Amino acid sequence: MELKISVKKRLPSFELDVAFSCSPDKLLVIIGPSGAGKTTIIRMLAGLDKPDEGTITFNGETWVDTKKGIFVPPQKRQLGYVFQDYPLFPHLNVQKNVAFAAQDETCVERLMKQFDIWHLRNRNVAMISGGERQRCAICQNLARKPRVLLLDEPFSALDAVTRKTLRTEIKQLKGELCIPIIHVTHDISEATQLGDELLSVVQGRIVPRWLFQFRLKDLSFRRRAGIEDIWGQNDTYNDNLEVSSL
Amino acid sequence: MDWQPLFLSLKLAAVSTFLLIILAAPLAYALSLARFVGKAFLEALINLPMALPPTVLGFYLLVIMGPKGFLGRFWETITGSPLVFTFQGIVIALLIYCLPFAIQPMKAAFEKIDRSMLESAYVLGLSPLATFLRVIIPNSISGLAAAAILVFIHSIGAFGVLLMVGGSIPGETKVVSIAIYEAVESLAYREAGRMCLVLIPISYSFLLLLNLITRRSRAWS
Amino acid sequence: MRRFILFFFTLVLFVYPYPTVAGESLHIAVAANFMQPFKEIAKLFESENPVSVNATFASSGHLTGQIMNGAPYDIFLSADEERPAALSQKGFAEKPFVYARGRVVLWSAKKELCGVSGWQEVVKHPSVKKIAVASPKVAPYGAAAMAAIEQSSLQNMIKHKLVYPENIAQAFQYAATESVDAAFCALSSALSEQGKKGCYFEVGEAPPIVQGACVLMRAKDRQTVNKFANFLNSPEANSIKKKYGYK
Repeated sequence: MELKISVKKRLPSFELDVAFSCSPDKLLVIIGPSGAGKTTIIRMLAGLDKPDEGTITFNGETWVDTKKGIFVPPQKRQLGYVFQDYPLFPHLNVQKNVAFAAQDETCVERLMKQFDIWHLRNRNVAMISGGERQRCAICQNLARKPRVLLLDEPFSALDAVTRKTLRTEIKQLKGELCIPIIHVTHDISEATQLGDELLSVVQGRIVPRWLFQFRLKDLSFRRRAGIEDIWGQNDTYNDNLEVSSL
Repeated sequence: MDWQPLFLSLKLAAVSTFLLIILAAPLAYALSLARFVGKAFLEALINLPMALPPTVLGFYLLVIMGPKGFLGRFWETITGSPLVFTFQGIVIALLIYCLPFAIQPMKAAFEKIDRSMLESAYVLGLSPLATFLRVIIPNSISGLAAAAILVFIHSIGAFGVLLMVGGSIPGETKVVSIAIYEAVESLAYREAGRMCLVLIPISYSFLLLLNLITRRSRAWS
Repeated sequence: MRRFILFFFTLVLFVYPYPTVAGESLHIAVAANFMQPFKEIAKLFESENPVSVNATFASSGHLTGQIMNGAPYDIFLSADEERPAALSQKGFAEKPFVYARGRVVLWSAKKELCGVSGWQEVVKHPSVKKIAVASPKVAPYGAAAMAAIEQSSLQNMIKHKLVYPENIAQAFQYAATESVDAAFCALSSALSEQGKKGCYFEVGEAPPIVQGACVLMRAKDRQTVNKFANFLNSPEANSIKKKYGYK
């Protein structure tokens, strides 16, 4: 049930060249400055972008193999992708949004209660707050029983309190689902709070482990690597943090 | 008053509107999405009926839909009967004439849809066709309604094109616009006036109905 | 701003209706079917008189409507007698006079029909699937053709074949482009360049189309106008008319 990726893609300012893997019930956090290619990586995992060369496999299934010309479309990969701007369907209410691709109806109610949006079920999605919309988006994806969950800066547009709450919920979620979860963020405290593994991507390359750990406490490095220190709680840097590398 | 031309016009407008919305929607969608060489040329070609005087368009349609034209011959091989001077013939003439009025509003509505909403649908497991039916169409109802209004009113008002291709056969192609024209020409002004008086409230109520639909759909988008 | 004003004034100068320099002019409303012979007659008149003749060609019904709403014509040449009579009765025109007599014929571009014995056989012919006849309500030639059909008791037999264009010229055009197999049209069309490429059949049962004209009350220069009206029935004009199939 491992997700493996090794791809290259030519982007406007640099070449993206990454390779890593994520095992089930591990939450991998990808951090890096904007424009580093993080979203491109996630989109390639989801099947919304194609790499120039490389492979992506999941649990032995080949999703992408440029040499063999294999490309499995996003529909068939059965994953969840929580977008940054949580695009819900405006023509449906909250419940119908969650139930949109649900495997069975019973889990819809359970999920909505778990994420505390059940009371909003008949509301139009335009009339709920940002945090509620994000929860709805998460429920929508979970209702599909995804095999992989991708989150692309899901909380960046929310206030600090909501962020904290949702982070906790994601952490709890990780314990329940046994699937690989990949979370993109530029908030180091979020990264350290949530992540079992940390991957730093700068200019399309993964920053090697020794360099990363060594320079983590260097403020100027942190700034250049885009690892912002968003004012949060007293999270300390976890020296034992495992950093994925090539 | 002779009611037949009026019923014929309404029937013609309803059939044309229905068919054209179905046919033009995928075309409008393709135009809103795709970026291909010659897209500008294709769009100008689709819009051509708007720029041509209706009698010119009618003349060319007569030539291609007639027994010697490629469309007319194709139709005859398939159905065994001619295309010009029939109800089906004027429906097809209207489809071509009204195509740009259907495409423009629909294309504008499709272009306004957020791309990430579509990608979200794909990731959730919807094929492009299912996405088109379950996500795109419900979110562009106002565009579809606008297209339907325009096609309907142009169908009712169409005169020059139908004059050439229809042959003014009572019950088949003699639509109310032609009947009014003939009444005026034969100095039967009262009859012409009567037909106009009946036509106006019918068209108006249809426009009003569609306007309400548009407003309701805009409320939650 | 100044450029805009200059442009605007230039536009007005062009649009302003200047009176024509070359002496006097006549404005004549002519039924569309009489267009070709009229052009020749007018030219002949202009060469003998210091007048310019301007004509508008449209369907008789159209022109009648315009005249009743104040169109500035001097003479109206209709395709029938009824319309000039109506105008005269309503006070828009002087008493009408006949200026031409036309004939309805059946014309077809299809050479294979040329050997058929008469027009009734042509319309009944199995290979003739569509026949154009100008809408009887608006076109006198169409009305004459329908009269002939009814007189020959053919209306039920060929009703499904009939197509009704708005005017006689369109009927001929349908037949010339072979959108229909045959059309009832004016003899003048059949005798034209295009018409010679097909063949026509006399329709004896159709009454001759008596085309009436009238001088309109709005006409200013009555002397010139009456001169033209008389010229329409002069020997020179008659020979031109004959050439085009009118009597």
